Amino acid sequence: MAIYLKIALRNIWRNKGRSLITLSAIVFGYISIVVAGGFIEDVFYQMRESYIHSFLGHIQVSKKGFYEKGASRPFEFMIDHPRRMMERILNLPHVRSVTPRLEFAGLLSNGENTISFMGQGVDPEGEKRVSSFLTIEDGRSLEPGDRYAVILGRGLAKAMGVRPGDPLIILTNTVDGAINGMDVEVKGVFYTSSKAFDDRTLRMPIETAQKLLQTEKVQTLVILLDDTRNTDLVLHQLRSWFRQEDLPLEARPWYNMADFYNKTVTLFNRQFFVLKLIIAIIVVLSIFNTMNMAVLERIGEIGTIRALGTKRRGVVMLFLAEGVIMGLIGGVAGAIAGYGSARLISYFGIPMPPPPGATIEWVATIRVVPEVFLFAFSLSLITALISSVYPAYKASRLKISEALRHNV
Amino acid sequence: MPRIVEAQGLYKIFHLGKTQVEALVDITFHVEKGEFLALVGPSGSGKSTLLNLIGCIEPPTRGTIHLDGIDITNLDDNSLSTIRAERIGFVFQNFNLLPVLTAYENIEYPLHIRGMPKREREERVKALLDAVGLARFANHRPAELSGGQRQRVAIARALAGSPSIVLADEPTANLDHATGREVLKLMKGLNRTYGTTFIFSTHDPQIMSFADRVVELRDGRIAS
Ligand SMILES: Nc1ncnc2c1ncn2[C@@H]1O[C@H](COP(=O)(O)OP(=O)(O)OP(=O)(O)O)[C@@H](O)[C@H]1O
Ligand SMILES: [Mg+2]
Repeated sequence: MAIYLKIALRNIWRNKGRSLITLSAIVFGYISIVVAGGFIEDVFYQMRESYIHSFLGHIQVSKKGFYEKGASRPFEFMIDHPRRMMERILNLPHVRSVTPRLEFAGLLSNGENTISFMGQGVDPEGEKRVSSFLTIEDGRSLEPGDRYAVILGRGLAKAMGVRPGDPLIILTNTVDGAINGMDVEVKGVFYTSSKAFDDRTLRMPIETAQKLLQTEKVQTLVILLDDTRNTDLVLHQLRSWFRQEDLPLEARPWYNMADFYNKTVTLFNRQFFVLKLIIAIIVVLSIFNTMNMAVLERIGEIGTIRALGTKRRGVVMLFLAEGVIMGLIGGVAGAIAGYGSARLISYFGIPMPPPPGATIEWVATIRVVPEVFLFAFSLSLITALISSVYPAYKASRLKISEALRHNV
Repeated sequence: MPRIVEAQGLYKIFHLGKTQVEALVDITFHVEKGEFLALVGPSGSGKSTLLNLIGCIEPPTRGTIHLDGIDITNLDDNSLSTIRAERIGFVFQNFNLLPVLTAYENIEYPLHIRGMPKREREERVKALLDAVGLARFANHRPAELSGGQRQRVAIARALAGSPSIVLADEPTANLDHATGREVLKLMKGLNRTYGTTFIFSTHDPQIMSFADRVVELRDGRIAS
């Protein structure tokens, strides 16, 4: 075996020019996959973190049935004793914060205009961590201790024609169905990456919302973890806990709620697959061509080593070794070049238009994802192997007497 | 003495489209162990074809061949490869050294195939380089050697695996007369020293004269 490796290596070296072209193809394929894959990963990452931190959190806990039927009867599915639940959840490993939410719909009036809105009763302190993509553009955010205060989405504030300091009147149904009204003061105006959200959302301290709705309960507890990768771990802990204590609660991970994210991932992955396929074909064809030429110009040598007693298997190994070494060198060179390209492109950044339904432009980078590198590396190796199989087989099947005649 | 080659009623027929070429017709001949035998005859008389049959490179169309007591007529490719590796040495008209290997490594190659351990390989290759007088050129690639030197490396390579027989198809055809004679002297010396059987083909009467026995082919038949 060692002798075949030695001969294969020297033959690669013997045809430096051609080997270099083949290696370039592998490196080019590698870079394409690493850059495209790293870019897609970054889009996924930024989108996912944006969703999680702007409002989803990593996991949301609510009363069983809230997600299916909560939209039409929001007050029938509320969590009792939210404070006690929050304390217990906070004690779980990987949990960084838990914050309550109470959502309701209502009408907003400034005396002239009346507009419907989506209200969120939130804990200003806890919400800071799951609303980091919510940016205040005017006034200030909600602060702990605020009462009868609201902040409005950019679109909603514009529609109402209000600025921080202006008064507003809120009308809504209490949990019992009675009508309640309240005077509030606009503290700030915010925007997020979602225009639809900014057009109809307002936020107020959860105590104020509870007073308005005349309840002690909340609808959801939004859990933020130390790392998105721990979502499933904590999710399972929560679910088995609810099951064991027979609590009428359910836990949902962010990815079950981020519909647009999931669709984007599917679409991008499909496009990425096509790209990978195209690159694999380019690499296969280029190595195939090289190996075929190598066999053709070495027919005489094949005849010689066969005459000397090399078995067909040996000839196959000789050419497979050549292909695999090529794939290996290409893989290593590609990894280095891919890493370099990823860092270089990331250094400058790729300006991106706002995603659908959002307002903020952002800058994508190329993530250095070990999985993508591993994939590209195995791809160069496997394609090198696959594309050497036929030429190697062909070489091993040459008629010795005819092959020998090629020695001149 | 047992015979190293026993060929019985050998035919080799090539099909070229619709025409048939009878390269060998009813060849029956024997080679004794240790012989230094010349195969002669005009171009196209079947010398290379006969050497290919004896060398387990092509099967005969008809007839049987025994090599070293083994019936090689109907063996599969793997068994034939093993016989070539273990019992036959080849010397070619064009030397056929592997260009990417040094003289040393070329001689070592058949030993790799035979799975000889490194230490033994080293000893053997060094002894052979000495025997063909090329110790100084161990690390030269074929491209850096003269024709005569290349053919000596090839002879050392043919002898590396301690074969029972060495087949040399026109080993001197690409060498000048003086070098050709040197090469033949070397082969004969090795034949005398190690008792290895040699069959070589040639056109050259001077080269023939080295042989213990001359077998002449004409139109695929044995003429003498
Ligand atoms: N593969 C083949 N296909 C068709 N005909 C062949 C083949 N090999 C040899 N022949 C024919 O068989 C005959 C014998 O050829 P061979 O090469 O054995 O002759 P030779 O004695 O070695 O000649 P030379 O001295 O020129 O080397 C020739 O007529 C040749 O054309
Ligand atoms: Mg010939």
